[in-house]
Amino acid sequence: MLSRRALLAGGAAVAALPVDARAQDLSAAASSGVAAWPTQPIRLVVPFAPGGTTDLVARMLAQGLQDRLGQPFIIENRPGAGATVGSQQVAQAAPDCHTLLMSNIASHGIAPTLYRTLRYDAVKDFTHVALVVSNPSVFVANPRFAGPTLADVARLSREAPRGIDIASSGSGSSNHLLIVQFGQAANARVNHVPYRGAGPAMTDVIAGVVPLMSDSLPSAAGHIRQGSVRAVAMASAERHPAFPEVPTFREQGIDLVSDSWFGLSGPAGMPPAVVQRLSQSTLAVLAEPGLRIRFTELGGTPGALSPSGYTEFVRAEVARWAPVVRASGAEVG
Amino acid sequence: MKVNSKDIAASAILILLAVVGLWLNLDHNLGSARRMGPGYMPMLVFWTLLGLAGLVLLAAFFSGPDPLQKWTTQESVNLALAIAVGTAVWWVAPNFGTFFSSTYNGVGLGMLAGFLVLCWSLGWRLIGCICAAMCVFALLLEQGGLMLALIGTILVASLAEPEHRDRPLGVMGITIFLLALCWWVFIKQLDIRVSVWPQF
Amino acid sequence: MDLLGNLAHGFYVALSFQNLLFALIGALIGTAIGVLPGIGPVATISLLLPITFGQPATTAIIMLAGIYYGAQYGGSTTAILLNLPGEISSVVTTLEGYKMARNGRAGAALATSALASFFAGTVATVVVAGSGPLLTSVALSFGPADYFSLMLLGLIISAVLAQGSVLKSISMVVLGVALGLVGTDVQTGQQRFTFGVPELSDGIGFVALAMGMFGIAEIILNLERPEARSVLKTKVGSLFLTREEFRRATPSVLRGTAVGTCLGILPGGGASLSSFGSYMMERKVSKNRHLFGTGAIEGVAGPEAANNAAAQTSFIPLLTLGIPSNAVMALMVGALIIQGIQPGPRMVEAQPDLFWGLICSMWIGNVMLLIINLPMIGMWVKLLQVPYKFLYPAILVFCCIGSYSINNNVFDVYMTVLFAVFGVVCSKLKMEPAPLLIGFVLGPMMEEHLRRAMLLSRGDPMVFVERPISATMLAIASVALIAMLLPSLRKGKEAAMAG
Repeated sequence: MLSRRALLAGGAAVAALPVDARAQDLSAAASSGVAAWPTQPIRLVVPFAPGGTTDLVARMLAQGLQDRLGQPFIIENRPGAGATVGSQQVAQAAPDCHTLLMSNIASHGIAPTLYRTLRYDAVKDFTHVALVVSNPSVFVANPRFAGPTLADVARLSREAPRGIDIASSGSGSSNHLLIVQFGQAANARVNHVPYRGAGPAMTDVIAGVVPLMSDSLPSAAGHIRQGSVRAVAMASAERHPAFPEVPTFREQGIDLVSDSWFGLSGPAGMPPAVVQRLSQSTLAVLAEPGLRIRFTELGGTPGALSPSGYTEFVRAEVARWAPVVRASGAEVG
Repeated sequence: MKVNSKDIAASAILILLAVVGLWLNLDHNLGSARRMGPGYMPMLVFWTLLGLAGLVLLAAFFSGPDPLQKWTTQESVNLALAIAVGTAVWWVAPNFGTFFSSTYNGVGLGMLAGFLVLCWSLGWRLIGCICAAMCVFALLLEQGGLMLALIGTILVASLAEPEHRDRPLGVMGITIFLLALCWWVFIKQLDIRVSVWPQF
Repeated sequence: MDLLGNLAHGFYVALSFQNLLFALIGALIGTAIGVLPGIGPVATISLLLPITFGQPATTAIIMLAGIYYGAQYGGSTTAILLNLPGEISSVVTTLEGYKMARNGRAGAALATSALASFFAGTVATVVVAGSGPLLTSVALSFGPADYFSLMLLGLIISAVLAQGSVLKSISMVVLGVALGLVGTDVQTGQQRFTFGVPELSDGIGFVALAMGMFGIAEIILNLERPEARSVLKTKVGSLFLTREEFRRATPSVLRGTAVGTCLGILPGGGASLSSFGSYMMERKVSKNRHLFGTGAIEGVAGPEAANNAAAQTSFIPLLTLGIPSNAVMALMVGALIIQGIQPGPRMVEAQPDLFWGLICSMWIGNVMLLIINLPMIGMWVKLLQVPYKFLYPAILVFCCIGSYSINNNVFDVYMTVLFAVFGVVCSKLKMEPAPLLIGFVLGPMMEEHLRRAMLLSRGDPMVFVERPISATMLAIASVALIAMLLPSLRKGKEAAMAG
């Protein structure tokens, strides 16, 4: 155990479990003022399980911010209910800038329409700081699946007596909605099969239990490169630089674009000076060449939006997804 | 008579839980066998539980005798009183100040009061003391700090053991030793993020 | 031979000073957090992840892997000594291990656990090195219907974990499944049985449930029986295994290793099934099955071997497919991706240092755990000689801090209290907590696979009997159920116990 202590000292006290924000934050914010921020370790809530794309992006970002701001960033995974559990927790935290959130398309783009009883407003209850990364969705297929193009998929789905199964990482995810949109646009009979995360879904696609999957590019990228699954179509506007050989939906005659994104946000009412500093630090971290290469390999595009730009972006996303969610018929209590 | 009272009591608890579960499950959409809703699996589970509990009840009439420990009148009254006091304290706790109206402190105070009342009669004393000790820990930890919470917990827990009551020095020894040990393990080594001393 | 050459290369990598050091650090941290209730490997690894940014990938993974199997080891220690299972896999160890400790054979139980784990770890390492890719295809042949039937079989046979009436323990399994329903429904996101409490939206915590029903309830029951405590104090037999015990444990270790190696490969739930799958097997197959429930060494040796074998082979889906089979493995993927390495089939060619170094360090880690743990047995057993009146406040305090630190929320402490009360009630009514815990763990997975299987078959339940794997599992399950229930209905519970 002694050695662990030594390790921890070296790792800038990363072992720090999250401080209970309610008790201590208000006094700290009042006494220290903005100039001294950050005065204590910063809790970055990731509303997904450890090991996922958001988690990885958050950890890379946290490392960079930690070096620039001089306080440890502690990742706290709070998964559940389409990322709304962790988001709600941050919405209710004190706006002293020591509790931040990885806001994302699920909790801040889709959930406002999908969940009837959502207890936060994706725009008003948060201070949005910066868009961190965005990446397209991609349709992948088991290599033995006999349908190289989207047109083949649609045709096969109409010929099969039971339609065609397409997996996704969960109900209400942007990947799920892409399946619904595809079904409508291509007149295909699709049967959506939700999973608990992308990992188990990918297992079943590789095993051939489900022939197709709609996945985010970062979690599918490795499997596509290794050839364990085949990319059918990319839901980006242009061909993706990391996968120039994969045709887009548009090229295949189906006008669909679906980007998922993650950003940095905090509770509503954060002081503008702190937001400015945090935003500049984030943009500086995102501009580092090492990180850019890592992101591109993963299939993501680093964001470059100001706090007000990101707020507008979130607002636009909520408006954009509302009709899609309604059309999909999905709704959660 | 070969009645197994323990099994009858067990099946009564299981039946109660199954019925409550089925009742709560009325809120959930069952869906169809093809696309099961959130209520489908609970329905299967609670009906299975109800059926099994019924079988346990039937079997209980032939598998005994296995009598329950008898409760004295004092013990029965004590239990009822503890539940009443606990509920009442939980109910009024939010009026005692903002501390008790936030998070779970009000519930904790109610539980603590109930378990302390339970310590009155000998039959319930152990369970009352141990559970009350844990409630003391939870109530004191965030505001009072780890040290104060530990002292409170150890003191209440030591009431459970008759030998400790006559030897305050022994209890003091345990307390000091455990304070040192917990500080070394959880603060010095593992660095769990709790305040060590009281917060004002 | 190619394999030997690769292994030699692996040992060359793993035996570098830095890698040895971090394997040792990992094993030490793992053992420590395994012994402490509540603080598990997932929390520890996710906290230590940022440290690994600065390390070479191989070193980082070797250290994290050390934590993972070190925690499996440490968890058994508290299960045997204090009836306190910190991990799902050590629930089974409490059944015979704690009884052995009460019979004055704590030293032997701990030694069995250490030696069985070491043996199983060695075998499983060889399996991972030699036939990992081959075994992956076995894992991939399991569809949702097969998983459902496997879980159902697991639940039904888990009733044999109980010492008393089979009917009651099946009821406890089902009650455990019911407790597992609490939380957010994965497929629709709807809250079920949470009473509007946000802390319940992720479900009831396993640690609060296990700690309350086993650890705290045991304190209360022990204080009630002064005579039971004196047994602990007076009877401390020889620290090491007797020849007779060694002879009895050996076949169980072999069977446990086989069970664990096979089940560990299955992603999702396989590893947690392994230890009690092995217990079930020992109870049916072992020559001394009549001793089960009184502290049979076979009931420690088999499950401990199975548990450690499964911990090693659960790396197979990660290394060959790039797919994590549990939360710890998901963090490993994270650690690798941050290093710019995509785990998967190409890792063997692209990163031979990492792949073979990791496999060899698994074995080295097991040697280290043996070296760390065997000399400590004497110390652990001395702990039992501390008078119970001094010991119980310490256990209580550790449980309090442990349950708080899972989520840094006092809610978990209160949940532990409630489950402690329920645990005492269950014990008074002879309702076994172990089957409940198994049901609690397997229930949610079972629901997920059931719903997916029905979705894929368009609502046709025939899928469960049409697939050969699933049909076999169901056939075994129904035979087991009938075999267990018949004597219990005909002759009462004594017959069922002996059977």
